[in-house]
Amino acid sequence: MLAVNDLQKSYRVGKTSFPVLKGVSLTVDAGEFVAVMGPSGSGKTTLLNCISCYLPADGGSILLDGRDLAGLREEELAAVRNRQLGFVFQDFLLLDGLTVMENILLPAIIGGAMSQTVQARAEQLCQVFGIGAIQNKYPTEISGGEKQRTAVARALINHPLLILADEPTGNLDSRSSRAVIRSFEQAKQMLGATIFMVTHDSFAASFCDRVILLRDGVVWRTLEKGGMDRSAFQDQLLEAIGAMSREEEP
Amino acid sequence: MKQLGQVCAALRRKNRVHSTLLAGCCFFSVLLITAYGIMMRSPTILAVLPEGGDSRKQVLMIFVMAVIGCAMFTVYASGLFFRHRSRQTGILLALGASRRQLRRQLNRELAVLAAVSCAAGAILAAPLAWDIWQLFRLFVVDSAQMTLRFEPRAWAIALGFSVFVAVLLFAAGRRSVRRANIIETVQEVHRSEPIRAVPRWYGPLGIFLLAAGGLLGYLAPSVFVNLLHWYPPAGLSGLFYLPALAGLYMILLHTVVNGWRARHAYRDLIATSMMKFQGRQTVRSMLVMTLLLGGGLFAAFYTPMIGAGSMLSYDVRPVDYAYHFRADQNGPGKPQVEQLAAEYGVALTSWAEAPMARLAVDGSYQVEEEGPLGTTWRSVYAQQAQSVLVLSESGYRALTGEIVDLAPGQAAGVLDASGSGQGRFEPDATLFTNPLTGQQLAVTPAEPLCHDLLLGCYVLDDGDWAALSNGLTGEWREQMVFFNLENEEDSYPFARALFDRIVDGSGPEVAVLDGWDPIVRQRYLEEEGVYFLDPDQAEEANFPRMDYSQRDSSDFRLYWQYMPRFRVLDKADFVRTTAVFLMLFVFIGVLCLSAVIVIACTRCMTIALTSRPVYNDLRRLGAPGQYLYRSARSQVRLVFLTPALAGSGLILGFYLLILYFNDNRLTAGELAGLGLCLGLTAGVGALLWAVYRLTLGRVCAALDIRR
Repeated sequence: MLAVNDLQKSYRVGKTSFPVLKGVSLTVDAGEFVAVMGPSGSGKTTLLNCISCYLPADGGSILLDGRDLAGLREEELAAVRNRQLGFVFQDFLLLDGLTVMENILLPAIIGGAMSQTVQARAEQLCQVFGIGAIQNKYPTEISGGEKQRTAVARALINHPLLILADEPTGNLDSRSSRAVIRSFEQAKQMLGATIFMVTHDSFAASFCDRVILLRDGVVWRTLEKGGMDRSAFQDQLLEAIGAMSREEEP
Repeated sequence: MKQLGQVCAALRRKNRVHSTLLAGCCFFSVLLITAYGIMMRSPTILAVLPEGGDSRKQVLMIFVMAVIGCAMFTVYASGLFFRHRSRQTGILLALGASRRQLRRQLNRELAVLAAVSCAAGAILAAPLAWDIWQLFRLFVVDSAQMTLRFEPRAWAIALGFSVFVAVLLFAAGRRSVRRANIIETVQEVHRSEPIRAVPRWYGPLGIFLLAAGGLLGYLAPSVFVNLLHWYPPAGLSGLFYLPALAGLYMILLHTVVNGWRARHAYRDLIATSMMKFQGRQTVRSMLVMTLLLGGGLFAAFYTPMIGAGSMLSYDVRPVDYAYHFRADQNGPGKPQVEQLAAEYGVALTSWAEAPMARLAVDGSYQVEEEGPLGTTWRSVYAQQAQSVLVLSESGYRALTGEIVDLAPGQAAGVLDASGSGQGRFEPDATLFTNPLTGQQLAVTPAEPLCHDLLLGCYVLDDGDWAALSNGLTGEWREQMVFFNLENEEDSYPFARALFDRIVDGSGPEVAVLDGWDPIVRQRYLEEEGVYFLDPDQAEEANFPRMDYSQRDSSDFRLYWQYMPRFRVLDKADFVRTTAVFLMLFVFIGVLCLSAVIVIACTRCMTIALTSRPVYNDLRRLGAPGQYLYRSARSQVRLVFLTPALAGSGLILGFYLLILYFNDNRLTAGELAGLGLCLGLTAGVGALLWAVYRLTLGRVCAALDIRR
């Protein structure tokens, strides 16, 4: 589904160049729920922004369903973002002037794909994520957890190949976080969604099938959940993160 | 909702306050510019501002300033509008909308907004101009001459400015979509406007540069001309004001970043820090506001300064009525004036008249030469440098009642009542010549005399005067008349009739500017073949033409060489003579002040929007409402107060500089004018304070601050 090969990205500040991604390679299979973790400055958000087509990479390739995103023109990148990717942001990024239902339908409207079927799918997503009762409310009238579940429904409306989530639980309390992660699980199980999530939260990551640990712009280690239960996988994650921190110390 | 257009419409309805604000600004700017254009192109006003005259140029210059002011606040309003839109644009781009799609939607919205607001502004401008004009006629001055007529071509200005507004909006819209940054929206990144550290000496150095630049810019032209004998190219003298501009920028920067007094470490922490990191744009806005406020006040000061000075000078005149006419013209003598007085039921209480001779005097004049550095000049002495009007001792006594005893071979120049030549007369002639017979008289300067109505004349011993004026034809002789009336305050109709009689009795050969001089003319004709002040040359040389049919125009009243000085006429017609200026300066004052208010409000709202996350964080950290209020107030106050103080202080200082260096003193009239200007400044200050309070309320609402 997604193959990232030797991805490189630097930021320039004045005449100095700061490499952030120094050759990241990874793959995500269809139907997989993958998290990327790492300390601040490890390059996880930059990696997500490159995959999201928000930032051009300096080198390497990003193949989405076999298609290299590097050579695409702006119009084509917009089409990829609209039809093949779904986004969930830390700050939800809902439009305050639209109702919950209208926000969910927005990617379909942008793509010119509105139909009865899409409307029915939006209704279905509302039911799945428990936001049916608030579908006519505005974002300012609902809670943070409800906003994020609205954002998850919006990300799924166009049947994307991949959902990209950037710290989706970062602005939520533990109860709302659990509800949002539950909605990801539902999306994966009921709708066959593929999810790629950047997070700091080991609890959220422990629901994933696989966790990629980034350090200093390269993949440090990948942990598979396999048949492990969630709690044990979280312990393993915390241990690995501890080891990574110890390695960093002089 | 099935299309992006419907989404945008829904969002627009929800955020209509921003569209309304932008539409309001476009409407207001088109309304003001069109109204000004209508006034400027009105035949009523063109009749009062003769073609080629200084007054018409001033009006055009003010119009250009007005256009700049309006363009500026439209730019600021559109900047605020697109800043509000940036999040929406970023989200739509992040969800896969293409820039082309968004541009198309935005263009549609802007087209409707621009068309409606500009059309409304252009249509309502005529009633606005008419209403203001009628109010002016109702409360200030009214005459048949002041019936406002419209010139349809004035709407070309409206069309031109509307096109400019539309192009500006589309360009800004295009730029906002092109520059919309998904990353900034996604990560809630706020673009900071950092400034480098500002040393504390910026403030004092800024004040020094401001004062030095003002002085340098003002004095540079006279240094070039008087010391270097060089006429610098146009604009070069203006460059000497640049240190003043740099000084003003440094003062504002220092005010924003460092402040002028020690700041409270806790209380002022947020306001100071916020201002530091949004400083550059804030300082730029404040600089523009300072200049606009200065420009507006400069225009607004024009009428009080001229008015106070003129009214005072009318009051201190030693006689009620004074006029002079050339002896070869049909000027009214005592019998005609008495007859006219009888017709109007007024009685003369005194009458004095005396003949004057126009003689040539020696002196230096400038000869201009074109060289590689432009125009330079050298001083050339001539026995007949210019002409002056000369009275005899007895003639001076007849007019003034003052006994003057001059020895033969002595000449006394006449200064104004305060002993000043008003910068245009130095009583230093040493040789008088009869221009027709060539007879000469070498003189020694005597103690100057003082009389407001005879400023610039000379007085000679009776014997010398008779000998020198012998052989002069009527063209070189004039008659000066002074008289008083009983109940002079009620004699306006008589004054008006006498003025018309004098103008009607004057031939085309005396339709000349007050600077027209037959001796200088003779020299010009010999050397260059033309004299630039001759009626057929004046307009080409950018001087107003003296036209008897435009005897009520301000140029005629101010510059005709034989303009009578009747106190009652001058006082009553002062407002009429300057009415058009008054109106136009009121307009420019309104325009500049409006621009200042809009820029200040939009800047404060921008600061509020940018500071929102900080205030949210502060609230989470437990900052009390009173603390948040004070820090917001401190920023808003800085945006309003600094330009208000700097702009008004700057322009008052500049006026003081001009008035003082005109004749190295401040007259009573100038001090009275300055008093009026201070009152006006206080009025503008009160208005700005009211807007400041209103804006502070809106900023607090935007930041959700409750005290």
